Amino acid sequence: MSPFVIAAVWVGLGFVAAALPRQRYARLVAIVPLAGAVLTLIAARSMSPAVPLGGLSAITGLDRAGQGLLVATGISMAFVVALQPAIDASIGRAIGVVGAAATLAMASGDPLVTAVVLTAAAGTLALRWIAQAPGRVTLAAGRVAGSGTAALIAASPFLPLTGFTTGVRPVVVAALLVAGVASLLAVYPFGGWAAGLLGSVRPLEVAPWLVLLVPVVLLLAERIPGSVLGDGVPLFEHVLLVIGLGSAAWGGYWAVRGSARARYGRIFMADVALCVAAVGGARVSPAVSGALIILLTHLTVAPLLLRAGDAELAWPRRVAWALLSGIPPSPSFWGRFLILEALAAGNIGSTVAAVFAMTAIFIATVIAASTRTVAAPRRRWQTRVPEVAAWLLVAVGIAIGLAPQSASGFVFGS
Amino acid sequence: MGVSAPLLAAAGVVAAAVAMMVDGRRAVAITALFLAVGMAPTAATFGGAPGVAVLGVSGFGAVAFAWAGWAAGRRLPWVAGLDPSIPALAPSGQLFGPRSIRAFGAAVAVPIASWVSFNVPVGQVAAVQGLLFPTAYAWTCGVIRLLLARNVEDLAVGVTMVSLSTGTAWLLRSGTDSLAGAVLACALAPIAALIAGWLAGRSSRRRIAAIEADA
Repeated sequence: MSPFVIAAVWVGLGFVAAALPRQRYARLVAIVPLAGAVLTLIAARSMSPAVPLGGLSAITGLDRAGQGLLVATGISMAFVVALQPAIDASIGRAIGVVGAAATLAMASGDPLVTAVVLTAAAGTLALRWIAQAPGRVTLAAGRVAGSGTAALIAASPFLPLTGFTTGVRPVVVAALLVAGVASLLAVYPFGGWAAGLLGSVRPLEVAPWLVLLVPVVLLLAERIPGSVLGDGVPLFEHVLLVIGLGSAAWGGYWAVRGSARARYGRIFMADVALCVAAVGGARVSPAVSGALIILLTHLTVAPLLLRAGDAELAWPRRVAWALLSGIPPSPSFWGRFLILEALAAGNIGSTVAAVFAMTAIFIATVIAASTRTVAAPRRRWQTRVPEVAAWLLVAVGIAIGLAPQSASGFVFGS
Repeated sequence: MGVSAPLLAAAGVVAAAVAMMVDGRRAVAITALFLAVGMAPTAATFGGAPGVAVLGVSGFGAVAFAWAGWAAGRRLPWVAGLDPSIPALAPSGQLFGPRSIRAFGAAVAVPIASWVSFNVPVGQVAAVQGLLFPTAYAWTCGVIRLLLARNVEDLAVGVTMVSLSTGTAWLLRSGTDSLAGAVLACALAPIAALIAGWLAGRSSRRRIAAIEADA
């Protein structure tokens, strides 16, 4: 199965799902990411990982880690849709386009193709957000994320850097790549758009970016410095380290102080920023393992915590917050521990900043888990399907915490 | 015959300056047309006839797509949607308006593009230096336009500028895959035009319906 076919299925099903009669069949939108995940599972596998720094070439195929990531994101997105209390079926279009873009980006070793598909994804999401809630915040998503993809597009004519690994060219390319990655991952100083968005649109609207796009961009960013960036490597690594740690500390602080509605998004952004700092800046093996475990944890708990904080699913949500808290043996503990280990190998400043961010995340999760909710009335068993799904996700989260390396190896192959 | 770098730069700068200033429902089409013409001398120098054809098809394609999108948007039944030309945020009281800020941005882009042009070699087979100015200038202006966007039309104009300038940069790059890269980069401009035209068509239908209802 070619990545093109998988992308076509994502887009096709997404547009069909968007045309579903509103309300009654809206939940069938979950089939779009589920079908994408199933097709990705049977895709032809590439032996070498796709790094978008090569020359213009065909889509090379999905490697083991990319395949595992796309399957996990697809299943997570399906759960997000299934567990939402209310769904607008037109979100299917955005899910389809972003899923297709994520598949092609993960399978492409060509910087221009990667940049163009990421532009399509960011543009689709920005248009949807602006249409849903026109305002400064949603427009900022188009401005900043659009500029980020423009930076990735601009880097493409200068790549590959074979024969030009010294001088100004690799430094300019690295600067463009950093701007692109930081904008798409919403790392400060490019992260204000996502922080504002979390309080402006419904959680389901943010989910395609959070669940489908961010993990793919993070994995691609992890692969860039290992390839031929020449003199640009220090700039790429150091800038990502500094802005990643700053962003994590800032995100953690606002996860504690900010509104309850945006709390999960803030924690997600802080964790992603920690991963960016570790995989971009530290580049020792625990960093990548830690980032993958953190990604896996968020893909497991996001369907639960992206719901509004209502009385339903109160207990599964509490356990999900505990899984994010960083208390052993939660999966987030192992992920953050490995990231801390990698950062500690660098310098004390990085360690202090990371510990501050992790402490803030811990406090935020404790506040969230201890928030009282009104007990939901007992209902018939048919209406308890979301609860069963929620407990299933919690069980998966606990399993990841008990065997983090095995779970990571099962999904990503390493 | 040698390439006249100032002439190439002048054509590109004029096109990018027009693209920075243009507003309204036809802004994307006008931008695509001016940039395709302004970048054509550079494309002809490095990409020959196929290079000019790529830019031409992209520029005129953007005009055709914008019109097609507008026509299709008007014919379909109206649903509540996005008007691409209405600012998504209320303008605050300030000394300079959006166009003045864009003009300032266009001026700031000159030294940036100049530095890039003279310091960053582009090309796979043979590095070319000093001829990147028009493309670097148009790209920088495109990003500034994106960052200063007040509505969806502005975003589409920014994407169009980035698309056509990067397409031209791919032609400068030379090598076996330069034409394919230029085609792919330039493909974004017609798509942006189609979306902006479609949204404009839908919102113009709403206005007509409102006028008829008032009558």
